[in-house]
Amino acid sequence: MAMDGGRLVRMCIESASADAGSVERWRRQRRTLERLPAHLADALLRSLRHRRLLFPSLLEVFQHCVEVVELNGESSVDAEWMVYLGAFRHLRCLNLADCRGVNNSALWAVTGMNCLKEFDLSRCSRITDDGINHLLSIPNLEKLFISETGLTTDGAMLICSFKNLTMLDMGGLPVTDKALFSLQVLTRLEYLDLWGSKISDDGATILKMFPRLSFLNLAWTNVTKVPYIPSIASLNMSNCVIHSISPRDASKHAPLSKLLVHGATFADVGEVFSKLEGSYMTFLDISHSSIHSFCFLDNLKELQHLDLSATTITDDLVGHVAHIGGNLRLLNLNNTKITSLGLPVLAGSVNNLQTLLLSHTSIDDTALSYISMLPSLLVLDLSYTNVKGFIDWNREGLDKIHSLSLLQNLIHLESLNLEDTLLRDDAIQPLSLLRELKYLYLKSDFLSDISLHAVSSLPKLEFLGFRGGVLTDYGLFVFIPKSMLSTLDVRGCWLLTNDALSSFCKMHPRLEVRHEQIQMLNADQSLSHNAATSSASPLKFRQKREKMLHSPGRYPNVIYADERIKYSREELFELQLSPLADPSLCHPDKLPQILRRD
Amino acid sequence: MEEETTKKAEMVKLISAEGFEFVIDKQAAMVSQTIRNMLTSPGGFSETQQGQVTFPEISTHILEKICQYFYWSLQFASGKETEFHIEPEITLDLMMAANYLHC
Repeated sequence: MAMDGGRLVRMCIESASADAGSVERWRRQRRTLERLPAHLADALLRSLRHRRLLFPSLLEVFQHCVEVVELNGESSVDAEWMVYLGAFRHLRCLNLADCRGVNNSALWAVTGMNCLKEFDLSRCSRITDDGINHLLSIPNLEKLFISETGLTTDGAMLICSFKNLTMLDMGGLPVTDKALFSLQVLTRLEYLDLWGSKISDDGATILKMFPRLSFLNLAWTNVTKVPYIPSIASLNMSNCVIHSISPRDASKHAPLSKLLVHGATFADVGEVFSKLEGSYMTFLDISHSSIHSFCFLDNLKELQHLDLSATTITDDLVGHVAHIGGNLRLLNLNNTKITSLGLPVLAGSVNNLQTLLLSHTSIDDTALSYISMLPSLLVLDLSYTNVKGFIDWNREGLDKIHSLSLLQNLIHLESLNLEDTLLRDDAIQPLSLLRELKYLYLKSDFLSDISLHAVSSLPKLEFLGFRGGVLTDYGLFVFIPKSMLSTLDVRGCWLLTNDALSSFCKMHPRLEVRHEQIQMLNADQSLSHNAATSSASPLKFRQKREKMLHSPGRYPNVIYADERIKYSREELFELQLSPLADPSLCHPDKLPQILRRD
Repeated sequence: MEEETTKKAEMVKLISAEGFEFVIDKQAAMVSQTIRNMLTSPGGFSETQQGQVTFPEISTHILEKICQYFYWSLQFASGKETEFHIEPEITLDLMMAANYLHC
């Protein structure tokens, strides 16, 4: 990969794809282009695409050197592009996912490409059965992605011609039991995606005929019983009704290591899991599933990744998680009824936990003392909880301690999310002790300049979210980002003015600043420079106001973080007298009761 | 005299396809991982003893640019952030040379 290459290689690619003029100055060096090593040619092509400098006839210069073409998501790709791509004699991998312009006749150009091993046509909805007929002349295809194309059941049955397929994605296609039956000649298949297909339990029995199948996705199908599949390692049965998975085989069990059953309904969850060989499973996503008993967890002692979000797990049941906690790396308890009372059960048993997600739960500050006992924690999400930053030891609140200071025991913590908690300025200071923190997310109506400055000293911070706070222009001005900081997200900080933001951006050109005003600023600049500036003359303003009055429909489309910064002082005075000042005229139905004029 | 030999040892000679010789600091040449390996490998490459490397695939004007890059890279590493301009005409050849030299 050229990205791993040296700096000079990268600088050359940047220079070659700087602008259309640069391209013109090297594109006629045909001899050199023919000698270009494939990984450099691929990287140059990729760079040209990202700079939007690629057009069909330019593709011609790459026909002898490029092996990988990724044009996914480019709506301009059509039959003309395909004609040039058809001449790429060494093309090994072609990604046209989401290219809406690609239709059946465009595929004709790639017939007979002997080198092509990997072809992605996902979501090219104009490709139908006729298009697949063009592909039949590509004998060596090993990976084919055709999910959500226009294929019918008949088209799906044509796929059996690609005898070398190891990966096949037919998600969202009307693959019936009969069509799946025709595919059983594809004995090399290792990866098969059939989400949303019309497979039933009858068809699913064929799946045991694929000896190498290790990845299978049956989400959103009517399959309730998954047969014994010899090599299965990863199974997705999300949003299915599940009766059984791989019934117990007398001699050996499926080495299933990863199971996704998001939003699934179980006939009997204990029964289903009792038949699975628990000791292999390392990854289980059972989020949003309707389960009431968690006893099945007791057998899954090798679990590393456990997603229980939006399930009925409670403090009383969390003991089942603690029981198997020794190997857990990630535990997702978002949107559950877990409270701070459940944390003591977990602490002490999940010692290797690296990621703990407790968003949208009712845990409070007392949980932090238990969380701080998890020494390996890297990522902690406490957003939308009742954490307020203090623990009151007595009712008078005289003996308050900073609860966030407990987190300094987490010496590896890299990411901390405290959005929409009850934190105030006086609770934030201890965050400056988390020296390893790279990502910090804060969002609150109450945090002000003080909090921003409290966390500004964190030496390794790369991303700082400080959304919706009462941040002033001055507060931003005196904020000095550390050299590692690459993004500052101050969206929703409504007090910030345009001028303050743009001068801050100028002062720190390497820093990406996110704010509604900056997005609008950029939009204005791209719409040429004829947009009215803030120092609009009275005449201009009158025109603007008239326009607003005549086209009230366009007015609400512009969203300002704070209406007060939209106008200058003089404009505001004038507006006071205008009919727009009467809000009841705009949307009388949407107004709160208190603002309505009877 | 002794001073002169150590000074000589710190220079290396890079020879282009056309036979042009570029004498540059060893430290600068070591920006290239390939040259570094040639000059420091214990296997006793002839390059290691003589302190000179021939590049039959790299033409003179590209090798000159490569040498400029070596010095620019040292400056950049020491905190002097200037721009290194690459003319679009030579990007492809320079890219291949840089790829070969791992720099």
